Amino acid sequence: MLKMTDVCKVFRTELVETHALNHVSLQVDEGEFITITGPSGCGKTTFLNIAGLLETMTSGQYLLDGVDVSQLNDFKRAKLRNQKIGFIFQSFNLMPDLNLFDNIDVPLRYRGMPAAERRERIDKALESVGLFSRKKHLPAQLSGGQQQRVAIARALVGEPRFLLADEPTGNLDSNTARGVMELLQEINTAGTTIIMVTHDQELANQSPRNIHILDGRISNGTPAPQQETDKEAAPAVA
Amino acid sequence: MLLYYLRLSALSYKRNPILSTLMVLAVAIGVGAYMVIYTLNYTMGGNPIPHKSSQLFHVQLDTGDPNLENDPPEQLTYLDATALIAASPAFRQTASSKFVAVVEPSNPELLPMITNNRGVFGDFFPMFDVPFLYGRGWDRDADDNLEQVVVLSRDMNERLYGGRDSVGENLIMDGLVYQVIGVLDDWTPVPKFYDVNNGPFDASEDIYTPWNHIVDKEFSRQGNTNCWKAIDGSGLQAFLNSECVWIQYWVELRDRNEEQAYMDFLNSYSAEQKNLGRFERPLNNGLFDVEEWMIEQEVLPDETRILSALAAMLLAVCLLNTIGLLLSKFLGKSGEIGVRQALGAHKGSLFIQHVIEAGFIGLIGGILGLGVAGLGLEGVKYLLGQDLLVTDWIQLNLPVAITTIVLAITATIIAGLYPIWRACNINPAIHLKTQ
Amino acid sequence: MEIGPILRAMTRNKLGVVLIALQIAFTMTVMINAIFIINERNRLMARPSGMEEANLFHVSSIGFGDDFNEQIVTADDLAMIRQLPGVINASETNAIPVSSSGSSTGVRLVNDESQPSVGTAIYRSDEHILDTMNLELIAGENFTATDMRYRSESGATLAEKTIITRALAENLFPDVAINDVVGETLFMPGGTSIQITGIVERLQAPWPTSSLIERSMIVPEQFLDGNSLYLVRTEPGERDRVMSEIEELLIAQNDSRVLRGLSSLTETRADTYRLDSAMSSVLWVIIITLVFITCMGIVGLAVFGINRRRKQIGTRRALGATRFEILRHFMLENFLITSVGVVVGAALTIGFSIVLTTNFDMPAMAWYYTPLGMLSLLLIGQLAVLGPSRGAARIEPAMATRSV
Repeated sequence: MLKMTDVCKVFRTELVETHALNHVSLQVDEGEFITITGPSGCGKTTFLNIAGLLETMTSGQYLLDGVDVSQLNDFKRAKLRNQKIGFIFQSFNLMPDLNLFDNIDVPLRYRGMPAAERRERIDKALESVGLFSRKKHLPAQLSGGQQQRVAIARALVGEPRFLLADEPTGNLDSNTARGVMELLQEINTAGTTIIMVTHDQELANQSPRNIHILDGRISNGTPAPQQETDKEAAPAVA
Repeated sequence: MLLYYLRLSALSYKRNPILSTLMVLAVAIGVGAYMVIYTLNYTMGGNPIPHKSSQLFHVQLDTGDPNLENDPPEQLTYLDATALIAASPAFRQTASSKFVAVVEPSNPELLPMITNNRGVFGDFFPMFDVPFLYGRGWDRDADDNLEQVVVLSRDMNERLYGGRDSVGENLIMDGLVYQVIGVLDDWTPVPKFYDVNNGPFDASEDIYTPWNHIVDKEFSRQGNTNCWKAIDGSGLQAFLNSECVWIQYWVELRDRNEEQAYMDFLNSYSAEQKNLGRFERPLNNGLFDVEEWMIEQEVLPDETRILSALAAMLLAVCLLNTIGLLLSKFLGKSGEIGVRQALGAHKGSLFIQHVIEAGFIGLIGGILGLGVAGLGLEGVKYLLGQDLLVTDWIQLNLPVAITTIVLAITATIIAGLYPIWRACNINPAIHLKTQ
Repeated sequence: MEIGPILRAMTRNKLGVVLIALQIAFTMTVMINAIFIINERNRLMARPSGMEEANLFHVSSIGFGDDFNEQIVTADDLAMIRQLPGVINASETNAIPVSSSGSSTGVRLVNDESQPSVGTAIYRSDEHILDTMNLELIAGENFTATDMRYRSESGATLAEKTIITRALAENLFPDVAINDVVGETLFMPGGTSIQITGIVERLQAPWPTSSLIERSMIVPEQFLDGNSLYLVRTEPGERDRVMSEIEELLIAQNDSRVLRGLSSLTETRADTYRLDSAMSSVLWVIIITLVFITCMGIVGLAVFGINRRRKQIGTRRALGATRFEILRHFMLENFLITSVGVVVGAALTIGFSIVLTTNFDMPAMAWYYTPLGMLSLLLIGQLAVLGPSRGAARIEPAMATRSV
């Protein structure tokens, strides 16, 4: 469902040219749970940004669900992000002055969904992360783990095809981190493809497929042609 | 979605209350101050009779001093005014001059009073659409036959007769008996376009009477009198025959043809007079409609024009301030903007969100600006004192209030365009990693 | 020392610099031109009229009825007023300086109407007027009662003598010593001749904006048109009391007349200069508002910039910068931005001042206004940024290690 061929990303300043991604090719299939590891500055985040259509690439081809997204304008890319992709960030990135309900509401607003349907979905999403009773709270009133669960609910409320997670447990203690990981695995089991950037080698080892990026190149991208097992299209939110 | 964005604007205001309040204050003060000056200009330089100002013309004949190259005199001599009235080729025409008289009220409880009066021809009332409360004006016969009739201002009728219908009452003015035939409704055009030479912001007169009485009854004339040539001899007749100008003259001309015909009439009159040895300067007669005449006479004081420029600069400073503050505010939410983009906001929706946020600041600034403008106008009234009639007219009316709000919103959105553009072009990737 | 890095930082934040600099430029333009206008108005208002204004008041009497004899009533009124306790002297006059209303005429040195005449205000009054106004007679002598002329019809003056102001004398006889002007003859419109018998140091014409403001002549004459204007000078402190009694006393004397326009000269002056003083007040409000807003802008952006750079400031402190060096950094930054502003402002100020002098009746601005304005705005900028800079200097070095 995601296919990158020869993707390059070059950052130019007046003095230097940085090849953040250097001829990266990768295929991700429906239902996979992929971790991406690599040292700081290797291009992990750039990869995620390009995969999530937050940044454009310098050259190469990127097919998302068979659609070539390299030529899409901002409007169409925003629509794709809104409908197909969910994001989870290391620092949660909840909007501090919106309560939980309103935070989760944001992507649905951009989808122009009727109010009743939005309310139903948000309530369901909050329930699925166990925070329904706190929907009027502001993010600052929650613990870090709770905040990340809200962020996950927000990422999933639009029922995206795949989820991009940038160090989702980086700001959490190990107990809480484990909880979040379990949640992500549940989501994956329910059918959502997940790509997760992480520093944590242990987490990477647990995942069925790990990609290591070094200096903008995939160093041990183990292709996974055997992955044909689980193709049932279950709803993303369990 | 509008409501959603308005709610986001309110939340955003609350997040940076100091920054937001600074912006609102800047907009309020800038727009408020601008509207104070705008209202002054609007009141003092407005068109007091918009529906027919282009059909009413002030007549100027160049009877000036041949040794000087100045503008033609603003007013007419007695010789010319009476000659123009005698010919009366215009649709309507009136000479008009001020005088004062002592009125002895019939009510014994009232003391004799000095009244400010105006001698006019009967055409004056229909020409200038003067509103009547009771009765009516007079006709040409009354002018020619020197009928002793008066029309009272509403205020004078209030003072003399307690506001009742006084038509038919007798009025003793300078010892002579006049009959009240009409009472005006409130009528105070600002500027007082029909006599800008004697105080364009003075109050209207108390009593109107046929103009011919001023000379016939030798009332005490008031107002600007200019003589470039010494009066030949002494006494009233010598004055009337002199080149002294003291009479305002207005005509109503309904279309271009009438205007042209009247100008031709004036020019042929000038030619005639040249043959008699008057009008020694080159032909330079003037017909100015109401708006042209007020511009020609520089009715709008220099002060308000200078203040307009200064107020515009004040507004500019406030808006520059707002640009800086909005930029700070919007760039301060880069993180949020990045998240919104990740969650599916495209540039268009970000643009609308921030236009509404800027407009929201503008709206609050505008509402506060109304207060600033109201206070400012009260201050100006206090400074100008009650002598100037214009102080009664300086006020926040609905159009001015709406203009204030619209100006505030528009100006803030314009000031916000660059910050909004920057906000919409934030690279989300940079701001998602850490907040 | 650190100007280099600050300048480089400024070029990276061009818009912020431009915004503040433009605000300062506009503020300076408005402030300096407004202060100039205010000073100009104050100068006009401060010109002496020549009279002892604090103790003067005036009132008009307008007679009606057939048996009203103005000449007798005026004489009786003035005699009555002059003997009132607290009154020093009183006169009847056709006009009063500073009142905006009066008469003017043209006088010539030769009896030839084709020659240009010199315009002057003309006061028709009596032999008491010098004492009533407390004018300073610098040459010649006062009128006497026998010089008075009375006329009931408009036309040429009947008076044979006149007292003129020094300014009028110098205008008419630029090469003659002031004492020798006494005795000269002037020709009035219509050819009547009149002899200069005295010169006063100063007596303003009634119209404050007139170009002939210092040129006045007094003639001993009363025009019997039913309207008498009395000017009364009282002992210091007695004015208001006499004013409160005068109307009743005059009506008791003769009631076939109406009194109006009772006003102290202080009030009359305030009325005449109302627009000027209102203008000054409005301008002050504009100046204060503008400086306030600009200061808010400076403070707002400084605080924003400092908050954004808290960590950086903490790092600097951790690397050994003293509080004073941090303070100096932000003060210097503001100084550089304000300098750009005042340079642009100087050009705008001069440009706007030229617009004012060409379009309105305003003299050119003195040269020192612009540099003084630049200096004061630099100072205002430094004062405005002092608070935020001190805040920045108080940031702890520990901020460097603290996460936001």
